[in-house]
Amino acid sequence: MTEPFITAKNRLLRRTVRSFCDQELRPIAAEIDQEARFPWEVVEKMGRLGYFGIQAPPELGGAGLDALSYVIIIEEVSRVSAAVGLCLSVHNSVALYPILAFGSPEQQQRWVPALAQGRKIGAFCLTEPNVGSDAGAITATALPASDHWLVNANKVFVTNGGIADICLIFARTDPAAGRKGISVVVAERGTQGFVVGDLEDLCGMRANPVASIRLYDCRIPRDHLLGRAGQGLTIGMAALDTGRIGIAAQALGIAQAALDEGVRYANQRQQFGVPLGRHQAIQMMIADMATQVEAARLMVYRAALLKDQGAAVSRAAAQAKLFASEAACTVTDLAVQIHGGYGYSKAYAVERYYRDARVTRIYEGTSEVHRMVIARDVLGN
Amino acid sequence: MPVHSIVCIKSVVRTAPDGVGRRTPDNSELNPFDRPALEAALRLKAALGGSVTALSMGPPVSAEVLAEAQAMGVDRAVLICGPALAGSDTLVTARVLAAGIARLMPYDIVFFGTRTSDSDTGQVGPQSATVLAIPFIGGVKQLEPALTDPLADAPTAPGATASHWRLQRLIDGWEESWQVQSPMAVTIHPRAYQARSIALGGIAAAHAPLDIQTWGLADVGMSVDSVGLAGSPTRVSNLRKIKRPRTCRMLTGEPREQVDALIEELTTKGILGS
Repeated sequence: MTEPFITAKNRLLRRTVRSFCDQELRPIAAEIDQEARFPWEVVEKMGRLGYFGIQAPPELGGAGLDALSYVIIIEEVSRVSAAVGLCLSVHNSVALYPILAFGSPEQQQRWVPALAQGRKIGAFCLTEPNVGSDAGAITATALPASDHWLVNANKVFVTNGGIADICLIFARTDPAAGRKGISVVVAERGTQGFVVGDLEDLCGMRANPVASIRLYDCRIPRDHLLGRAGQGLTIGMAALDTGRIGIAAQALGIAQAALDEGVRYANQRQQFGVPLGRHQAIQMMIADMATQVEAARLMVYRAALLKDQGAAVSRAAAQAKLFASEAACTVTDLAVQIHGGYGYSKAYAVERYYRDARVTRIYEGTSEVHRMVIARDVLGN
Repeated sequence: MPVHSIVCIKSVVRTAPDGVGRRTPDNSELNPFDRPALEAALRLKAALGGSVTALSMGPPVSAEVLAEAQAMGVDRAVLICGPALAGSDTLVTARVLAAGIARLMPYDIVFFGTRTSDSDTGQVGPQSATVLAIPFIGGVKQLEPALTDPLADAPTAPGATASHWRLQRLIDGWEESWQVQSPMAVTIHPRAYQARSIALGGIAAAHAPLDIQTWGLADVGMSVDSVGLAGSPTRVSNLRKIKRPRTCRMLTGEPREQVDALIEELTTKGILGS
């Protein structure tokens, strides 16, 4: 059977990424999770091969691929290490993409080549201790001064935060203007007053250095404003629409990995004198898992294809992210169940998949926020 | 001294055939033994200049492995394709490839993998060289231009192409050194060159747009009855899977005796090197 949507280019891309990840990432995937270590040795290679500038144009150092290629790459990387898939997804879609979509030509020349080649890592700084889903309520400020923005911000749960060089900071440039007073300024690591807080000790995605980033009276040059003043939430929502497709692809990769391990174990482990897969109870689980994975894949690829066609993707991206992340949790849970006690042990990869899957229902919009977005669109209000 | 190389590659079936093997995009891939051959040719080009052409004979799905070769960095890709070619044995494959190679004249070196992962004969490289009547060295580990003509013991004329080469080949625990005059054909030892990881930008570039030349039988001057099943003097009459039962042998005695017995066994079987 030939898959729908997939072209020869996509197949080659999938084989290429799979082979790279099997060779370079799989041998260390469990170890970097346990040690909560960011795998620079592999990330540097990925940078040289174009993984950090998937959709950036070749003239700015990118690989020049489309959104469908992007989700296939995130899916394949996440199948081996969801934490590295997360790094790529956030870097490509909510750090690099907004600069490509909203940055001036000068800003693109300044930041894109280094980001696209992985020489610099990007991060997206929206969440604050008391601001999660309600993005319009942020308290960070970037007040205009003579030749700079004076930025004060306390951003938490910043993916890639511990290693990021270029951070998109959401802050109020006009505190009196409410939601319309929010803007995005680009802060570079090393600027005076830019402080990286402690790394979060997380349940899953442990190889990603998620950290808080604080800016204390940080002077950011005036030309570091991305887009126009007050355009912050528009940029944020556009970035998150793209980002959600990436996170959906990441969840899909985790689910596929859990299905693979479930099938392998069901064929190998003997109980009552036959392989587990001969027992109807296990067959039902495998059937449900495979169906969830395929359905998630169709939704994720569809959202990417719509993006490639230039269509509105908010609803499709929200649906893909909602479905794929819920599927990842269901499928990883069943994979643990098939493994029995061993599935609860760190000796088996499904334990890691189970932990990694959980956050996909939370970050870049919770499942509940996505239901809000979808319902609003369906109801037309 | 630019070097013009041709690398013959094959789209192989990834899974074991069940009845008649049918190649589809989902079950095909670049023969893994061809990757080191592509790498060797690309490194030669990087060092000396010139060009690398990937050549394949096979059904249309083979275009995908040619695109992969382009993503790795080859300059040109040619597919010899036609329904009459189905069922060709290694001799006919070699004749067709040789006809294609002749059309790609002038060339210096024709590279092959040592064998394919799906039919495993190892014959097509040496047979093609025989049809072309050019020298052939198998299992090459390293090749470099000889700056002087080692056969004549005199410097090569300035500006001449690297027509003399120093080669090392690996075989059965030996390393042989050769001096060979090009044009020549070689198979590259599977462990000699670690093929490069493909850059994502290379994949985008190879497909923008896809540029693979397709030649039919007439283009290489061959007739329908000289190829395929009709033209093949050999035929696979049966293919049977051999199942080797796994046995478990318990080693007894003191730990030291057990370790000695285990090492002895592994050494005898050639799993541990002597």
